[in-house]
Amino acid sequence: MTILEVKNLKKTFKKSEIIKGLTFDMQEGEILGILGPNGAGKTTTLQMLLGILTPTSGTIKVFDKDLATHKSEILEKMNFSSTYVDMPWRLTVKENLEWSSWLYEIPDRRKRLNQIKELFLLEKQWNQPVSALSAGQKTRVNLARSMINFPSILLLDEPTASLDPEVATYIREFFANQRKTYNKSIILTSHNMSEVESLCDRVLILKDGMIVGNDTPANLAKKIEYSHLRLRVTKNVAELDKLISLRKLESVQEDKQYTITIKETLLPLFLYEITKKNVGYTEISIDKPNLEDYFMKIAKSTVETKSRGDMS
Amino acid sequence: MKLHRIWGIFLRYFYNLIHTYDRLTDMFFWPFIDLLLWGLTSSYLVSTGSTSNTLVLALLGGIMLWIFPWRGQYEITVSLLEDLWNRNLVNLFATPILFSEWVVSVMFIGIFKSIISFAFASVIAVVLYAANIYTLGIILLPWAGLLIMFGWVFGFFIASLIMRYGTKIQTLAWMSMAIVSPFAGVFYPISVLPSWAQTIAHYVPVSYVFEGMRSIIAGQPAPLSALFWPLILCLIYLMLSLYFLYGSYSAILKRGLISVE
Repeated sequence: MTILEVKNLKKTFKKSEIIKGLTFDMQEGEILGILGPNGAGKTTTLQMLLGILTPTSGTIKVFDKDLATHKSEILEKMNFSSTYVDMPWRLTVKENLEWSSWLYEIPDRRKRLNQIKELFLLEKQWNQPVSALSAGQKTRVNLARSMINFPSILLLDEPTASLDPEVATYIREFFANQRKTYNKSIILTSHNMSEVESLCDRVLILKDGMIVGNDTPANLAKKIEYSHLRLRVTKNVAELDKLISLRKLESVQEDKQYTITIKETLLPLFLYEITKKNVGYTEISIDKPNLEDYFMKIAKSTVETKSRGDMS
Repeated sequence: MKLHRIWGIFLRYFYNLIHTYDRLTDMFFWPFIDLLLWGLTSSYLVSTGSTSNTLVLALLGGIMLWIFPWRGQYEITVSLLEDLWNRNLVNLFATPILFSEWVVSVMFIGIFKSIISFAFASVIAVVLYAANIYTLGIILLPWAGLLIMFGWVFGFFIASLIMRYGTKIQTLAWMSMAIVSPFAGVFYPISVLPSWAQTIAHYVPVSYVFEGMRSIIAGQPAPLSALFWPLILCLIYLMLSLYFLYGSYSAILKRGLISVE
């Protein structure tokens, strides 16, 4: 079931079009990643989905209702967590979660607060002011606040930024479990590619305010034709250098360790050739392209475009 | 409008109050200092025989009643500033709350703090100078309403400006009521003002309240105009300030709520 439908969404700031007609949807129970280089429009898009930024044109429908006209009703079933937002720092964790809970219709508020305290491991911090918490603890409190109304749709902007690896893993598992158990839909932005790859069913890649990729992480990665071949060479290094030069391949050499970027289709032939030339090696590994490679390709082209723009 | 959401916003500002010495000082320390200084000054003047006994109550009454417009304005603008300083605006408005619910909440917190501050000041005035503001009678209630409403007008107007221009103009939160105070006649009759200032005072609703207060203290009845005309003025100003406030809120939604700083 489609629970979010965005059609031709545009946003213009001071005559500059930041978001250029986004159209996408999200299914119930889906985890959708939004990736893109800095300035691609991720945060702007999330703000419009939360109703705290008015689009210049286009429509956002949530639960088949227009966000512009049913904002309060829709936000009752949505929530968010963002690194751009803090909490009143003099208030304790308990007080912050308590006042936030009153903004939603929650049947048993006390029970819910206790559940949240346990789920997000906040027992020790419960009566501490937010100002006394570490960055990671604040992120955890923010995530706890985002679950206070048991939302059907959750918007998470960099959810595990500044969390230590152990807690980050716990939080990732928590959200994966929420989706599995309660069929929650989650929109996630993150710079942690392995997080996006492991959590998201589908990823939107934004670039310059447009969607340039909309597929599963695996399918997006397949769009990269190159793999990285790593070899620890022990014999006939010169022959390998000749082959690399002949095939016009990119390579990085550190001591005897070679990392060669090569088209996946050429890989069997190249391996055959190095064997034929009697190139000896003790270690070999092939890194298949992943989402990060795809993202880097997009990001690189953005930087190059901007550089060309700056030069002209 | 949902009451639970209004309560939620109220709780947010209430918890801030109990954790913030600045806000507690505003509520208790300054009214106390004002009463102490003006009480001593007026008592001294009365003791020299140069003025009547009613001066003490007239001056202290001015200080006490001024709490209402001051707190009405201050709570709206400082509540908004608190959320800007704490980067908490998005936490408020990316939720089901309606802007009108926020408006009602900050009005309510203004009433709450005014009543506490006024009650405290009135007790201090009785204890230190035997000046009982409650001798003015039941008219205090509609006057308090008018005064706080006037504070809301300024509060919403300044909040609108802060929404548009950010915290760089935050000083207006402390200044704005001081700008209007010379025309309000808090401590003196409007007749002592130059004629151009009297014309302005005619359109400052709270000036009628302070004139009325002095009439009652002098043993005369308060004119009906001390209620009716200022109420009309206040309602007109309140509607204009709310219109301006909603305009500013729509404008910041076009820029993005996180852009306000």
